[in-house]
Amino acid sequence: MIDLKVIIGNIGKLKPLPQVANRIMELAADPKSSLAELSEVISYDQALTANLLRVCNSTYFGLSRQIESIHQAVLILGMDQVVDLILLSGAAENLKNVEKGYDLSKGDLWRYSVASAILARDIAERKGIRNNHMIFTAALLKDIGKAVLADCVAESFEQINRLVTEQGMSFREAEKQAIGIDHAELGAMIALKWKFSPKMVAIIKNHHPAVDASYDYDLETCIIHLADILCMTMGIGVGADGLAYRFNQEMMAKLGFSERNLFEIIAAFGEKLQQVEELISLS
Amino acid sequence: MVVGVSDMKVSNDLESVLITYSLGSCIGIAVYDPVVKVGGLLHFMLPESELDPVKAQHNPCMFADTGIPLLYKSAYMLGAKKQRMRVIVVGGAKIIDQKGFFNIGKRNHMAVRKIFWKNNVVIDYEDVGGNVNRTIRLETCSGQAWVKVSGKSEIKI
Repeated sequence: MIDLKVIIGNIGKLKPLPQVANRIMELAADPKSSLAELSEVISYDQALTANLLRVCNSTYFGLSRQIESIHQAVLILGMDQVVDLILLSGAAENLKNVEKGYDLSKGDLWRYSVASAILARDIAERKGIRNNHMIFTAALLKDIGKAVLADCVAESFEQINRLVTEQGMSFREAEKQAIGIDHAELGAMIALKWKFSPKMVAIIKNHHPAVDASYDYDLETCIIHLADILCMTMGIGVGADGLAYRFNQEMMAKLGFSERNLFEIIAAFGEKLQQVEELISLS
Repeated sequence: MVVGVSDMKVSNDLESVLITYSLGSCIGIAVYDPVVKVGGLLHFMLPESELDPVKAQHNPCMFADTGIPLLYKSAYMLGAKKQRMRVIVVGGAKIIDQKGFFNIGKRNHMAVRKIFWKNNVVIDYEDVGGNVNRTIRLETCSGQAWVKVSGKSEIKI
């Protein structure tokens, strides 16, 4: 058995979300904050500014003119898009280099995370929830635990794989059994350490069903569960864990989508997949 | 040549290798005519174009019932003949515990079966279902294909 203390200690090796990201989330949530204030906070961070301008000018947005300043970006794309882009650029580094264990190609976990975040935002909009950065961020970071757990998964892969194929466990359940902790639990510990809201910590922990047996599935968690499952289904950045996760009927019922609705969500996302890939490669 | 999601490629270039990555519930269909050495690969997402005819017109490879005919027509244009074509079908996986609801992999598979049955096409090799994702590769010079299930090594078929 791998020492759990060592695994948890490895959380410290991650690069935390930049402070500016936390500050920007606060500003976005504050109805009294202004666009000018937001632009100012961003422009203090040069690397972030440069990266943001590059992404704003990508074909993902297909703008007819070049954006040259953060102020312009906020005006043209709106505060919410800009906030999401900042969160993307803050999270990228930790998720880009996960390969072993989950048998991913370089950048796959990042693709998976960005696609989930965009899908979660799309699904939230269908449920009438707009501009919810918490949903976007939770979907983006829900698998951050994999970045720490990957080495252990690689070490225990044969056992995990046996538990999945022979005993019908989900990949998460098999991680827990073989290693003593799974990526969702570990992700919640990371979120806690990074001082995310209790709600976000709970969503990351429970984005796969039944980590906490008594967890009350709120709409946000259900949205992220669905975004996760649809990404798996579409095979975007999926690794050795494949589709070996549980589908939760109760969460689906809460969302109230018909099968046709789900197909529509997939088709709509499929149509913009090329632009999404562009965003993934740039951010 | 990489075949993306909702995409298709057909080739008679002897140097080319067609590949599509990470089929979850999507299905990949590889066809090959050994006489004219024409290979084709389709990666579709959803069973029926009736869902959204506008999208289907814009991107026929998104759906089984518009993508499969396009795959065959494109192969015919390079001289392939239906009766000589070898057909491989992979993908159509599902999440655990779906119990019929939203089993898109199964729906996709049934759509393929229905179209092929109507058109008297026999599937030569099939690797469908389960909770895994798959990558398929087809070599145009030989018609040799390989399937890789993630976490395992590639299988020659």
